Amino acid sequence: MKQGNKKKSFQKSLKQAALSFASMMPMILSIVGLMGLFQAMVSRELLASLFTGDPVKDTLIGTVAGGIAVGQALVSYILGGELLEQGISIYAVTAFILAWVTLGIVQLPLEAEVLGLRFTIYRNILAFISTILVSIGTVWTIGVIG
Amino acid sequence: MKFRGLRLLSVVGLLYLMLYLYDEGKMTIAVKKASTLFGELMLIFPLIIVVMALITYYVNPRKIASHLGEESGLKGWMIALSAGIISHGPMYAWYPMLEDLVKHGLKKGLIATFFYARSIKVPLLPIMVAYFGFGFTLILTLYILLASVIQGLLIDQICGRNKKCD
Repeated sequence: MKQGNKKKSFQKSLKQAALSFASMMPMILSIVGLMGLFQAMVSRELLASLFTGDPVKDTLIGTVAGGIAVGQALVSYILGGELLEQGISIYAVTAFILAWVTLGIVQLPLEAEVLGLRFTIYRNILAFISTILVSIGTVWTIGVIG
Repeated sequence: MKFRGLRLLSVVGLLYLMLYLYDEGKMTIAVKKASTLFGELMLIFPLIIVVMALITYYVNPRKIASHLGEESGLKGWMIALSAGIISHGPMYAWYPMLEDLVKHGLKKGLIATFFYARSIKVPLLPIMVAYFGFGFTLILTLYILLASVIQGLLIDQICGRNKKCD
């Protein structure tokens, strides 16, 4: 009897979770739609062409470009590898691959809706600053260690 | 059930319509890209729903507050870091679960930590090593962990205990 009650209540939890998830489906579809648009409009070549060769400027550009770009993390590694071959600074490439996974301009509306606008703004500003600092710190540490 | 984000979905639909009128070929590419992405997400959705259900079923809301709430301490940070590292799929797929946990007392700093720690992709680490070297990957990973915790602490400071970020 107890087993039956437990089973019933897990099914209830599952149903509750599925409904909660389903209610957010229009939002998720919107983000997926925006990502499709972005990938169709912004080519890898266009992203690569944004870099100037100046390490300071490129670190900022890398962070912004990575934050705007969407797609699998693996794509950022491949693109990052290509950028390094083109002579773009390792600071910029590190910022780019890190921002790719930690920042997401496209998903901001959904994050603000679910977790609050203020939290979203604070979190993304902190993630932006952290990305630049982590990139500089990583390359600097490797330089020191040799 | 009340659907959320219908207005945003209408705007995105309108953008697709505009792209269709401007460049039909690009619109077709965008639809294909979005469909592929959605197909990949379909594999992750059931996992997230099951995780949400398991949390609701097994974890008492009061326990969520003690493990991940204001008084969670070191344990809370460790859980947020580990969950960030092992979680798969895009960030937005996890929003419904986080929303549920916030209702049960999850503190906002741990969300920031969870999100930033997600940049460590364990299955992709060997690929990162191949592209950028072992030393680079190791140091970057350590700094990401550190930055994740610092961000969480700062968010807690900024948002404060009087729920400024709600």
